[in-house]
Amino acid sequence: MKIRLPLPAFITRHVLFALLIGGIAGIGFILFLIEFDHYTSSEEFCTTCHSMEIVADPYRQSKHYKPDSGVRASCGDCHVSEGVISATWDHFIGGKDVINQVKGALVGPDYDDPVINALHLPEAAFAARQWFKKRDSATCKKCHVKEAIYGTRPGTRQIHLEDAKDKSCIECHYNLVHRKVPHEKTFKRTAWNEMIEVEFGLEKGTAKKLMAENK
Amino acid sequence: MKPSLQTSFPVLVLLVTLLSSTSVYAAKVTLDSSSWGSEEGKACVDCHSKSSAGLTHQWKNSAHALANVNCLDCHQAYEDDVDAIEHEGSVIATIVSPKDCGRCHVQEFKQQKGSVHTQALSIIKNRMPALSEHFGSPSINDAGCAKCHGSEVKVRGDGTLDPASWPNSGIGRINPDGSVGSCSACHGRHKFSKAQARQPQACIYCHSGPDSPDKSIYESSKHGMMYEANKAEMNLDSDQWMVGKDYSAAPTCVTCHMGAAGKMKSTHDVGMRDSWNLNSAVSEKQYLVIFEDGDKRELSASEPVPRRGESISKMDGSMAKVKAVASPKRRRGAMSKVCLECHSKGFANNAMLQFDNVVELYNEKYGKPAQAIMQEMYSDNLLTPLPFDEPLEVTYWNLFHASGTMARHGAAMGSPSMTWKGMSELGSDFYGKFLAQIREVAGKDKGEALIKKHINSSEHHDWLNHPGKANPILGFGQGKGNED
Repeated sequence: MKIRLPLPAFITRHVLFALLIGGIAGIGFILFLIEFDHYTSSEEFCTTCHSMEIVADPYRQSKHYKPDSGVRASCGDCHVSEGVISATWDHFIGGKDVINQVKGALVGPDYDDPVINALHLPEAAFAARQWFKKRDSATCKKCHVKEAIYGTRPGTRQIHLEDAKDKSCIECHYNLVHRKVPHEKTFKRTAWNEMIEVEFGLEKGTAKKLMAENK
Repeated sequence: MKPSLQTSFPVLVLLVTLLSSTSVYAAKVTLDSSSWGSEEGKACVDCHSKSSAGLTHQWKNSAHALANVNCLDCHQAYEDDVDAIEHEGSVIATIVSPKDCGRCHVQEFKQQKGSVHTQALSIIKNRMPALSEHFGSPSINDAGCAKCHGSEVKVRGDGTLDPASWPNSGIGRINPDGSVGSCSACHGRHKFSKAQARQPQACIYCHSGPDSPDKSIYESSKHGMMYEANKAEMNLDSDQWMVGKDYSAAPTCVTCHMGAAGKMKSTHDVGMRDSWNLNSAVSEKQYLVIFEDGDKRELSASEPVPRRGESISKMDGSMAKVKAVASPKRRRGAMSKVCLECHSKGFANNAMLQFDNVVELYNEKYGKPAQAIMQEMYSDNLLTPLPFDEPLEVTYWNLFHASGTMARHGAAMGSPSMTWKGMSELGSDFYGKFLAQIREVAGKDKGEALIKKHINSSEHHDWLNHPGKANPILGFGQGKGNED
């Protein structure tokens, strides 16, 4: 028995099969992306690169990791946009970090080296801050609502509703989670280098040399 | 030749201008008012009245607020400044240094520059750890010593201020911008009240305790007694504050050390009128050397007086050209000018003589012989070079730094009880501990020889040479009860 559907003539059986397989594959792909984005946003995945372990250390001491409420923000909660398309795009762009990591291991700079990591941290911080600013701190706002910020001091809510009305979270709230890095405007490379040299017991001038070698 | 006569005429003219002036008014801000009232800084208080209401309230009740000087006028910074930070869109610095205040308060900045106050850290920086760290640890230095002497503020590579060095409002603070001092040491932030700085409490914050017992001295002096009784009549808020004109109820520390009196202007060089060094092992009269760059240093009067244009070393060791030298006599003259607003010349001179006599007494009876014995013991390796590891060194330190300072300061500021307390403690420690410890460390024979050489030969200690002479003071001996 033949079932005849009121379909245009060009929808042949083959086309129908193709659509069905394509559709299932498409759904599968999207599901894959969702799962992929989900997994690649996790602390577990991010810290498979040793360089990220170094960055994650201060995060693990921060309020975003150990909040009073028990709501923990994972790497991707802050650093990956919401929605499968944006999230995928962010991960695609983030792929350059993987390339840099691999390249670093082969020809340098080796970001797994705590010294190199600390020396290059400021530029990474500036880029991250710009990323937040461009998106109007969208990932912060997934959890935080200006109207709901009461704080512990009486003026906190008022400040957020009045003085910070037109401001984006990141404009004031930087240096919350990771190692403290000054604002790009007042950042001083020499002072940063000196601090890292003292921290790791390096000879004066080592930082500059390392930075030049690993351009 | 008397040292002060070596000073050339133009230098004298300059000194007269420095030490006295025809104007009796405190220096006014001469800058045009368009130089402050930053547009960007007007918004700061919107947030800060909510986030730190107390601080904002202080400012709102200040002369600064009245004159439209806002947060950013003082806290503004350039991006290149060592301690610049980004704050809510503005580039600011947490620390407002004397250099910042000096943008408007030009005279005060100039006067305080190089004064003993600004050198409170630099002149003892190398010596301080021996006391603070042997008796305490670096943490006592940060929370104790440096709170008055000042810290060397360190800015870390991440832009934060090293918590060991900040917060700190010590008067000799070395600031990230290279300037030295802290105006908020006396003019507490954020009101910066002149009335507050004119009260003894502003000075007592540091000038109290064993190293500088001036709180107890002032409080037990006639001056302090009158201040306590007549506080309400001090007219502390007055714009001009000249003794004899704007108030006369009592002199505070500021009155004598900084205040305007007669034709003499007020000054922010607090040590300028001090002719003696009263904290050292042996007191010496001292010149005030003023360098061409505005810096200053104290120079012992036993040194040859430097000439104008001559290069001599500054306190930090660098060389600089001398612009003027104030002799101890001239410095004493400036201080005495204040006395004359309330006392007769004879009264003032005699009071100074009584003071000088106590300093001489301290020097001759305790300071010099104790120093000579210690010197000899170090030379003979009877003491290790490390300070304070022998009890004798602790005793010696307390002789001049605690009780010796108390007696000398007590005499300087007219407290009979503290002068005697200092002298009595000197005697107790000297005869009761110091001499015994010398015998202990040097051995009986060598110790006895040292004491004989430096002590028994001195007329001040001649009484030791008459062990048979009885007195009933202890309840024994001849003449017991005779005086009743």
